[in-house]
Amino acid sequence: MGNEAIARGALEAGVNVASGYPGTPSSEIIESLAIVAKARNLYVEWSTNEKVALEVAAAASFAGLRSLCAMKQNGVNVASDFLLHLASSGTRGGIVLVTCEDPGALSSVNEGDSRYFARMLEIPLLEPANFQEAKDLTRWAFELSEEIRNIVVLRSVTRMSHASGNVICGKLPVKFRKAHFVYDGSIMDPLRGPVISTPVVAKHTLQQEKLKRATAIFENSPFNTYSGPKKPELLLITSSACFLYSREAIGMLELQKRVGILKLCCTWPLPPKLLKKHLNSAGKIMIVEEVLPFLEENVKTLAAGMAGEIGIKKFYGKMDGTLPSVGELNPDIVAAALAKIVKVKYKTLSTAYTKELRKAAALIPARELTFCPGCPHRASFWSIHNAIALDGREGFVCGDIGCYAMGALFPATGYHTTPTLHSMGSGTGLASGFAKLAAFGFDKPILTVCGDSTFYHAVIPALINAQHNRADITFIVLDNSGTAMTGFQPHPGLTVSAMGEAVPSVDIAGICKAIGANVAISDPFDLEGTCKILNSFLADKGSLNVLIMRQICALSPEKKGKKIFDVQVNEALCLGESCGCNRLCTRIFRCPALTWDRSKKKAVVDEVICAGCGVCYSICPQKAIIRTEAKKK
Amino acid sequence: MVSKAAKPSSQEILKKNVLNADLCTGCGACVNLCPYQVIYHDRTVQLHRCDLDDGKCRAFCPRWEIDLDLLRSSLCDSADLTTEIGAVKGYYLSRAADPKLREIAQHGGTVTALMELALTEGLIDSAVVSAGNQQREQSGFKAKDKTSLRENAGSKFVVSPTVAAFNQIAAENSGNIGVVATPCQALALAKMRLKPLQDDAGHIDKLKIVIGLFCGWTVSQEKFQALLLLNNIDPATITGMDIPAGKTALVIKTGSGEKIISFDHVESCIREACRYCLDSTAEFADVSVGSARFGNEWEEMRGWNQMIVRTARGSQLVDLALHRGILEVRKAPNGILKELKEAAAEKKRTALKNIIRKSGSAKNLLYLESSDPFVNKFLEKIKR
Repeated sequence: MGNEAIARGALEAGVNVASGYPGTPSSEIIESLAIVAKARNLYVEWSTNEKVALEVAAAASFAGLRSLCAMKQNGVNVASDFLLHLASSGTRGGIVLVTCEDPGALSSVNEGDSRYFARMLEIPLLEPANFQEAKDLTRWAFELSEEIRNIVVLRSVTRMSHASGNVICGKLPVKFRKAHFVYDGSIMDPLRGPVISTPVVAKHTLQQEKLKRATAIFENSPFNTYSGPKKPELLLITSSACFLYSREAIGMLELQKRVGILKLCCTWPLPPKLLKKHLNSAGKIMIVEEVLPFLEENVKTLAAGMAGEIGIKKFYGKMDGTLPSVGELNPDIVAAALAKIVKVKYKTLSTAYTKELRKAAALIPARELTFCPGCPHRASFWSIHNAIALDGREGFVCGDIGCYAMGALFPATGYHTTPTLHSMGSGTGLASGFAKLAAFGFDKPILTVCGDSTFYHAVIPALINAQHNRADITFIVLDNSGTAMTGFQPHPGLTVSAMGEAVPSVDIAGICKAIGANVAISDPFDLEGTCKILNSFLADKGSLNVLIMRQICALSPEKKGKKIFDVQVNEALCLGESCGCNRLCTRIFRCPALTWDRSKKKAVVDEVICAGCGVCYSICPQKAIIRTEAKKK
Repeated sequence: MVSKAAKPSSQEILKKNVLNADLCTGCGACVNLCPYQVIYHDRTVQLHRCDLDDGKCRAFCPRWEIDLDLLRSSLCDSADLTTEIGAVKGYYLSRAADPKLREIAQHGGTVTALMELALTEGLIDSAVVSAGNQQREQSGFKAKDKTSLRENAGSKFVVSPTVAAFNQIAAENSGNIGVVATPCQALALAKMRLKPLQDDAGHIDKLKIVIGLFCGWTVSQEKFQALLLLNNIDPATITGMDIPAGKTALVIKTGSGEKIISFDHVESCIREACRYCLDSTAEFADVSVGSARFGNEWEEMRGWNQMIVRTARGSQLVDLALHRGILEVRKAPNGILKELKEAAAEKKRTALKNIIRKSGSAKNLLYLESSDPFVNKFLEKIKR
């Protein structure tokens, strides 16, 4: 896996400290390092958020150690304030920020492109284009960082991080570094002075000199490679997983003798001499990259500056619509675009095949993402919906990031409660704002949800804001005891660290009480009790009310496969579609373990996927769903 | 998903024409029949969407498609019918013979006495009455004996989803049922008695007696609670409420004395739906009972009820009560029935005016048929 290759690269570089915040597709990097933490004498932690993670990694660098910090694309936004200052203060031991990005937003609610941070904050950017490079480039990134005494960004994408390929491993270092932080030198001394971004102009100048040094190194980097004819008809410039797509597309169209590929691993700043050499070789240039036209802009800027020497080029890319400006690419998309430029025929699929495919596709039942069987969030949203409906003032929920985001992404899954969804912690901030609109005639009750991990990540400031500014909100923590969505990484609410060591847990209820909120705890599987508390909170004006809905994720290692109840449907009692029920369980509640037998016209429990939570027993108006305590295995 | 034809569901019909039109009486007829319709703080709430177009919720609603003519012909003796107060088989001034019952009763204790008799005679196994919590929020209560009946005697003035309790108890295996009902609740129960839906026939057959209450209006629990708070009255301390004859105020009796709230304030708490109600005497009950408050003779009459016997079932129960000496009756003062009819007619005219104001046309009477002969008589009077 690409992420394991990145972790291996860091190990080969002798990384000492690794930190991060879980986020698909980045999580396996820290997880892989955590496994070998003891064996390789590492300190590995899951930090409360990406900014803190970067600060933890930076401290190691200041003390002369090598450190890695991993996050998903939007994590860089969270870390960016510190990153700006870190980039100007400079670093000591090698430090690499790994950002794993999600073109097409396969597991995200954005397809942010954080390459621009490298340009904006003036730090070098590396992008591996295959699995071997994922390892090798990571290892080299530490050397580069120490060479220029600044942080280096390494960007991966889903198809790099989560795909697997062959990697030849190098040797692991045998010597371990000692931490040593010196700050008694001059303020301008990068190795002995205080680590600070002032005097700003002087340090900024120093930072730009470092970037020039990186550019010079990039000119001769073996990671930037060219393959193709000396004078190609079309020069294709690409990076990252797009290199794989481009190479495949050229192969599919058999254009190896007509089209050349310049694969760049060093994508910011671009090495001008290398670019000049290759731009000179062709009149037509195509730039293949995912999400924003970052590479395209930078190549064009360079080409404009060299126009006198290299002449005017014809560019193809995202900006002229040759390639889509959003979403993921694949070999087909690249091949189709390429075929147009070089005027060869290319058809992905035959018309007859496409026709048959369409026919078959129509038979696929419509399905949307939903909560797993036994998921506490389904029960939680059920009670939230009911409480809002009973309250009758058209209250709504500001959603947040976690599995429970599905409550907003798919309205029926959240029982039509949750109309907003943005970044981590933003639900509480938005709720805090909505609650202050009463003076403008907006008097709906405002609720917000967040998961336990999200609570620590970015919610606390917003919650304090709500309390201090008297925002009358009902704040709900969907506490499933883990960072469930990304694979149960530990968080500050738990008693085990990333490295498996015992750590003190930080109590969410205690924090909320300390800021002066009314706090209640409920089991979301107790629908009636939970709804009652919510209604009393909604009716209570003028205070910040917190309900912690606590129930472990159905997929958590301690719960998975262990049923609380065996659940069955008594067909004689099941009303099915008749008035009095009208398929409440399969039409509205919609746990995937409840299925509808069309011929019998009865609900059926799919025993294989039923997690045995027994919540459907509570919603059945006929008590036709029977639950009996499951035998302990 | 394949979208169903444009035919609106029962739930949508109720939402558009009853709930959103402020016609919902909160009687509870559409509640406890399914998981979709519930009552919360005297508001009918549609919890989730149901797409059935022939649901019970719509079938029993007293504010949707009311065919008064059909109800009269099915449930009453045509010879007994009056335009103002429905069927009158017998008319009495009555009170409970038991002075202890009279002490706790709102007026004469007739309702409680009749229900006690129905229970003790085994005519019914439980009586559904309105019972309030400390916040005076009402719900239907299943009384199985004299004690629990007496605990809940007295006028509540607050909307109660009594029919919801009937629906629930009827679905249980707990025998025959009597209901003490306001006019809207009695209308819903009458609609049920026509058995519009075959599969509920068994439940409805358990309904053996409906004792109707005279009713001018009810107040919304939430608004009334706010009004009490404004007047520094703790709802939990209230021991009784009354409207003295000829006075435009609500007297609230608490442990620490009486408080008087002017009608001007109470008016704003009246449930909007009550303004469109034509029935002040529970015309579709078996027996209807109310106060006997009349201007000149208030003091003399305050311990008595007016009682209208409407159906054969009602007649049987009242005859038995008289025979057993459970009820006392007296001669009605002159003109008292006329006065009742005039008051009832006035409510009908006011409600019709309000309905026409809402619908915008005398041809559209919302839940009522404009062709109904009885309604027409009052329509003509308004036009004049």
